[in-house]
Amino acid sequence: MQAPITPTDSTDAAVYDSVWAAIPDAPPVGLETVMLQQDKLYVVLAVVLIIWFGVLFFLFRTDRRLAQLEDDLDARPEREDTFGA
Amino acid sequence: MNTTRTRYGTGYRFLTIGIAGWMTVVIVAGLVLSIPRLNILEESARNLYFHVPMWFALMAGMIVSAVYSARYLMKPTLERDVRAEQAALVAMLFGVLGLITGMVWARFTWYVGTGKWWNFDPKQSMTAVQLMVFAAYFVLRSSIDEPRKRGRIAAVYNLFAVAIAPFLLYVLPRQLESLHPGGEGSPAFSQTDLAPEMRMVFYPAVIGFIALFWWIYTQRVRLRLAEERLADG
Repeated sequence: MQAPITPTDSTDAAVYDSVWAAIPDAPPVGLETVMLQQDKLYVVLAVVLIIWFGVLFFLFRTDRRLAQLEDDLDARPEREDTFGA
Repeated sequence: MNTTRTRYGTGYRFLTIGIAGWMTVVIVAGLVLSIPRLNILEESARNLYFHVPMWFALMAGMIVSAVYSARYLMKPTLERDVRAEQAALVAMLFGVLGLITGMVWARFTWYVGTGKWWNFDPKQSMTAVQLMVFAAYFVLRSSIDEPRKRGRIAAVYNLFAVAIAPFLLYVLPRQLESLHPGGEGSPAFSQTDLAPEMRMVFYPAVIGFIALFWWIYTQRVRLRLAEERLADG
């Protein structure tokens, strides 16, 4: 069911209100009660955390590959140990 | 194949420190500086600084990847193949992050009370299609064992994958009713879509995330080339 589109005030918000934006008519439930606090600032927090986790994911993957690389280096035939070379 | 070594010296290290500092400032500025108050959007408008640059990073990655795919076809070297592959991989990371951040933003801003995580916005759907096209690039790569053949076929496929991106991500969504700005022209330069005080953070955020892409991408290229050198003995 498409919620009715209510007119907004004279700000530019109207730009963002298309038929895609259903104006909520139900009270927030569950996760929404948290996310809508602080004028929806927690939505920004969620987005920043998602990006952070994405970068972390790559960090861990790179770390694992490096560990493998180090193991392969160790497995190479013994060489003359040259400290600081 | 040749595995000439690219040196990453002091300049690289300073750049990465610069990127880390730059992004720290962008994140703080993005959360602290004041923004115009709009209905529905409220403080979530700050997501402009984080969700939108994901797409700029994706575009940057696709361009880098396509350039190295094209260069590979001109003269096949291991490094060009590695660079094309890793650029596409890191670009996909940002594409997936862009998609997920967009879902979360929409779910708790425009779709409160509806429980809709996926709303079939044209841009959202077309992005999902584009990411699947890219995913196929990696499936294709993993299905060919012979390196030269893999490099060549993957490069050709990649050029097609990148070539359709502007149409799927920019041309098509703007012809349809969408939650995203841009139906009326270019959203980045229209007066109503981006307040002047937000440009002060938005543009540095775009630069910062593209730089972050470059950092992760070069790091992975170094890793892959080191692996290849070790495999060569």
